[in-house]
Amino acid sequence: MAPRRGDSRADSRADLAATVGRPPAASAGTVVGRSLPRREGPAKLTGAARYTDDLIVPGAWFGFTLRSTEAHARLLGLELDPAFDWSRVVVVTAAEIPGENVVHLMADDQPALVADVIRHVAEPVALVAAADPATARAARDAIRLRTEPLPAILDPLASERAFARYEIGRGDVEAGLAAADLVVEGTYRVGYQEQLYLEPQAMIAVPGEDRGVTVHGSLQCPYYVHAALARALGLAGEQVVVIQEETGGGFGGKEEYPSMLAIHASLLALRAGRPVRIVYDRHEDVAATTKRHPAVVTHRTGVTRDGRLVAQDVDVVMDAGAYATLSPVVLSRGAIHAAGPYACPNVRIRARTMATNTPPNGAFRGFGAPQTEFAAETQVNRVAEALGVSPLELRRRWAYRPGDVTPTGQVLRESVGAGVVLERVAEAADYEPVRARTAEARMARATRPAGARTDRLDGRTAHGIGLALAWHGAGFTGAGERFLASVAGVERSADGQVLVYTDSTEIGQGARTVLSQLVAEALGVPAEAVEVAPGDTSVVPNSGPTVASRTTMVVGGLLIRAAERLRADVEARTGAPFATSYRTDAAQAGRVRFDEQFEGYPGIVWDDATHRGDAYPAYSWAAAVAEVDVDLDTGEVRVGSVVAADEIGRVVNPVLAAGQVEGGTLQAVGYATIEELQARDGRYLNDRLATYLVPTAVDAPRIEAILLEEPFAGAPHRAKGLGELPMDVGAPAVIDAIHDATGAWIAELPATPERVLAALEAREGRR
Amino acid sequence: MTLATAARLRFTVNGRPAEVAGPGGRRLLDLLRLELGLTGTKEGCGEGECGACSVLLDGELVASCLVPVAQVQGRAVLTVEGLAREGRLDPLQVAFLETGASQCGFCTPAMLLAGRAFLASGAEPTEDAIREAIAGTLCRCTGYTRIVEGIRLAATDPPGAAIPAPALAPLAEAGGSPAALPSGAPEVVSPGSLADALAVLAAEHPRPIAGGTDLMVGLASRAATAAWPLLDLGDLDELRGIRLEPGRAAQFGALVLGALTTYAELRRSALVAEHLPVLAEMAASVGAVQVQNRGTLGGNIVTASPAGDSLPLLLATDAEILVESLRGRRSVPAAAFWPAYRQTALASDELVLAVRVPLPVGRHVRFRKVGTRQAQAIAKASVALAWREEGGTWRDVRVALGSLAPTPVRALATEAVLEGQRPTAALADRAAAAVAAEISPIDDVRSTAVYRRSVTARVLRRLILDAVPGRKAG
Ligand SMILES: Cc1cc2nc3c(=O)[nH]c(=O)nc-3n(C[C@H](O)[C@H](O)[C@H](O)COP(=O)(O)OP(=O)(O)OC[C@H]3O[C@@H](n4cnc5c(N)ncnc54)[C@H](O)[C@@H]3O)c2cc1C
Ligand code: FES
Ligand code: FES
Repeated sequence: MAPRRGDSRADSRADLAATVGRPPAASAGTVVGRSLPRREGPAKLTGAARYTDDLIVPGAWFGFTLRSTEAHARLLGLELDPAFDWSRVVVVTAAEIPGENVVHLMADDQPALVADVIRHVAEPVALVAAADPATARAARDAIRLRTEPLPAILDPLASERAFARYEIGRGDVEAGLAAADLVVEGTYRVGYQEQLYLEPQAMIAVPGEDRGVTVHGSLQCPYYVHAALARALGLAGEQVVVIQEETGGGFGGKEEYPSMLAIHASLLALRAGRPVRIVYDRHEDVAATTKRHPAVVTHRTGVTRDGRLVAQDVDVVMDAGAYATLSPVVLSRGAIHAAGPYACPNVRIRARTMATNTPPNGAFRGFGAPQTEFAAETQVNRVAEALGVSPLELRRRWAYRPGDVTPTGQVLRESVGAGVVLERVAEAADYEPVRARTAEARMARATRPAGARTDRLDGRTAHGIGLALAWHGAGFTGAGERFLASVAGVERSADGQVLVYTDSTEIGQGARTVLSQLVAEALGVPAEAVEVAPGDTSVVPNSGPTVASRTTMVVGGLLIRAAERLRADVEARTGAPFATSYRTDAAQAGRVRFDEQFEGYPGIVWDDATHRGDAYPAYSWAAAVAEVDVDLDTGEVRVGSVVAADEIGRVVNPVLAAGQVEGGTLQAVGYATIEELQARDGRYLNDRLATYLVPTAVDAPRIEAILLEEPFAGAPHRAKGLGELPMDVGAPAVIDAIHDATGAWIAELPATPERVLAALEAREGRR
Repeated sequence: MTLATAARLRFTVNGRPAEVAGPGGRRLLDLLRLELGLTGTKEGCGEGECGACSVLLDGELVASCLVPVAQVQGRAVLTVEGLAREGRLDPLQVAFLETGASQCGFCTPAMLLAGRAFLASGAEPTEDAIREAIAGTLCRCTGYTRIVEGIRLAATDPPGAAIPAPALAPLAEAGGSPAALPSGAPEVVSPGSLADALAVLAAEHPRPIAGGTDLMVGLASRAATAAWPLLDLGDLDELRGIRLEPGRAAQFGALVLGALTTYAELRRSALVAEHLPVLAEMAASVGAVQVQNRGTLGGNIVTASPAGDSLPLLLATDAEILVESLRGRRSVPAAAFWPAYRQTALASDELVLAVRVPLPVGRHVRFRKVGTRQAQAIAKASVALAWREEGGTWRDVRVALGSLAPTPVRALATEAVLEGQRPTAALADRAAAAVAAEISPIDDVRSTAVYRRSVTARVLRRLILDAVPGRKAG
């Protein structure tokens, strides 16, 4: 599908669009490092791509979910309206679950359907299906829940039940703080964020001959769904097939939730003896599925008068919601990143994630780090203000260098890009000169005489510039990758095709294209010679979930090793280069396939019990400079531009990589400014697109992505992770810019016009 | 004329004739996806907010989830499946491929059609213009940068590469459609003249539908209201057009705007630009392209939302609403049109024909809407300010507010503060204080009472400050 090898115009033009901060790699002219167009691009551009709800499944019924309306209650029973004709529908309750009533994940505490206790609003209690949506909806509405209310805990700070607690640290924090010349304290709050993938959750279950089931869905992690289905349906693994269809975005929102949906669709399908499709409308999707964890983060930072960082004391509380889902690992990642990418001899990070009677929170791009890094970066910017030094200068002094030690005791040996991203972003954004100008304008506004509110200096907008730095560990935290023991393979088929076998899914991030580029390079063939097998668990092995910025680094690494073995095998037989001989070799040797299993990165040691050691094999680094205009009448913040520099080891496909940076940056800008999900009594108030607002094209800043490479020797292709990184750095840069413009620190995300105007008025009142 | 089931609908899709039967109130989106098997058009919300369902209707970008199929009669629909020609991607598609404008692809069909409409408009391909052209279509993956780039590339240097288009699945056979047809969609009657329309309205009380951007929202999941038949106003030429009523002795001229006038038409109208440009400014702040192309002034007025953007302006300009029924024609002053929350002075057999806005000599009108976003934002507060300049002092001052009370309201006490005064900075402060004291906004999901009060005062102050002679805006 790739257009016109040899037509350099397309590629150079595309390459231009992404500024790649390196000389053309030695491998230029080969496959890696080039902006090959997305493999499935033409299908997506013509409407040929099939998403779950586009599938034609003859005879399929429509499934709907009856949900709780209370935050905590005992379920006494279900009453079916006798006036309704129940012969036209099927109904499934917890009692009809053939296997265990759990959505298998970490703690196995979440039921697929409420059996006796409702623990949050919008919890699924019963399922109905009928031949048409109207009948199914009417049936759902004809069921009444009999309940007895129980006291609900809605505030994580008031909750006594933790799903996880960690304490990470080194040195002696109290001694460090005592010795400091200056201790800056700060409390930061972040709210929910909705993933808002544009394609709502969708799943179709088709019952098989042998009581088994095949599901087709919009999902990130086929084998998560597979395990959850087998468990809840009481089926053997081979009776369950999970097929990922074209997926309209995930961002973590299709990491764990599709398991629930697949169980529901399958229960109905097995009950009805026919296929059942469940497609959420947007309202149900926002009301019922997981969100980014709200959090409260408190910092005490000790510095010396000459600006040395001597102590960091950080406390993190995340609101997990009613069930554990992935909260323990979200918290772990959040905690490990909570002190920011700064060398400090005395650090203590205490973190807990608390149970509340609210819908469970889960995975969302960044996975705990955007929350804690927003706090850490805003804290650093406040320390810079307190010390009277430039935020850039302070970071230059503090940011990690090779040889520095992280709070978990990890020595950063290589591929430490903090310095380079800082310098590049500051230069590209003209950071210090612009900052000098905004400071002057701020001074002019602040020093005008009292009572002169309406004089000529009374500008309608204020311009500001802000900086932030972030790090993001690539791959699963700690021993996670070893436990996963992912498998991925490369095959030369009997008919001379090269096929990649992995369950790593294409969810828009470009996995299909990038993985085929890596394999093509290892084999010495053009990328279009490599096909990626469909994401079907009956075909592909378990390469682990498509999360944690791990696909390119971990799965890509496995595939390169598998491809190298395949290449050696063919070349040994033919005595000729793979590229010229693999097709003819197929006739003699037939199908050849090599699988690689993950065995760990050399020298990486982690102790889960103490949270000490090498938390990640490598980190990616990002710095961002945001410029904003704050409307001084309305408190509205317009983010005009963001320059982002991201160091990711090796850039496999510049256009796709820049696209990740741009998309993640806009999500971060939304997180910083307008994306606010309000909740009352455990219920989301604005669970519609008319009220949960994300940036449109006219709200979005101009985004410039600068990609940098500090090769990571642990991976055969030197690449680290990218997907989540941009999400960590955008919000604190915007908040810093708002401060630069107005002098006001907004310590709670998002910085809605309401919050900004309140802060402006507080400052006006003080003058 | 009665509410008979509409005859078969004829229209073209991607250049090919199509003919369907069934209720005219079902969504164009469902017709395309479920009946014609054109699943390239996506559903992301069903409420006009995401734009993923956008198609071109006679060349105009519309949200197909808000279009009743009755309104495609005789018209041409273009979907993403119709873009590629002779098995090859068209230049805009190639440009998207080259720039990386598509990631998950779910917004892509709509973005391409928004781009196509933009290219066809012949507008200068500036970044701002392109962004505005796609503002009604959300993308959660790309940050928009590469989509803007793709459209710009197609406008300035269309790529000529020949890239094969993948084969589309054959149109779904009956029974093979991905989902059952939605049941219970309303019937639509489409009268050809005002007289017919009024007769049906009086006899059977169907619900009038103009652009459908209020009425069709969430229709698919509202089984209860679906049974209510619709009266399509689309063919009533009596409700169209913008004209100038010249002034006569002792009487001002007026702008008469037909009820079916869309926001897009307000933005394009030379008469509006000359006589009441603030209307075009208001129209530009409504929703985004898709809603501006379909939403009408009449619909905004009859929906009677306190957040309806045109309403404060109509109050501030002493507009009259012209309505008609079989019983006759009458004119209702805007000040009397919205008696209570979401209620109008319209009787059940009346239609809104037009709005008449007087054009007194020397009158100035200002408008500011405060929403959270730059597009697709419902007002949290809006302020319209009008005055007549007479020898440096302000006369006939009107301050009208949106989203600050159960109905759009005039701030009479604030008007009194301004009446007969010369605009000064001190006066601006006094008016700001007056309006803050006069209103009692509420907390709701869009904003807080505290913010609304404060922002209204500050915006009013700003509008007045900007009118202070010789004062350069800061
Ligand atoms: C995504 C989105 C964004 C929006 N943004 C805005 C915004 O920024 N500002 C804003 O003010 N509104 C906004 N709206 C609301 C809506 O678009 C406007 O109110 C629009 O003007 C409605 O016009 P319509 O022709 O589409 O109305 P319709 O939906 O056709 O009708 C609305 C109501 O008016 C009645 N009606 C229509 N015409 C007549 C007539 N001539 N005589 C009698 N009754 C009539 C109908 O019976 C119905 O009750 C938005 C809507 C959507 C979906
Ligand atoms: S589906 Fe979202 S606008 Fe129509
Ligand atoms: S590409 Fe995914 S929503 Fe635009």
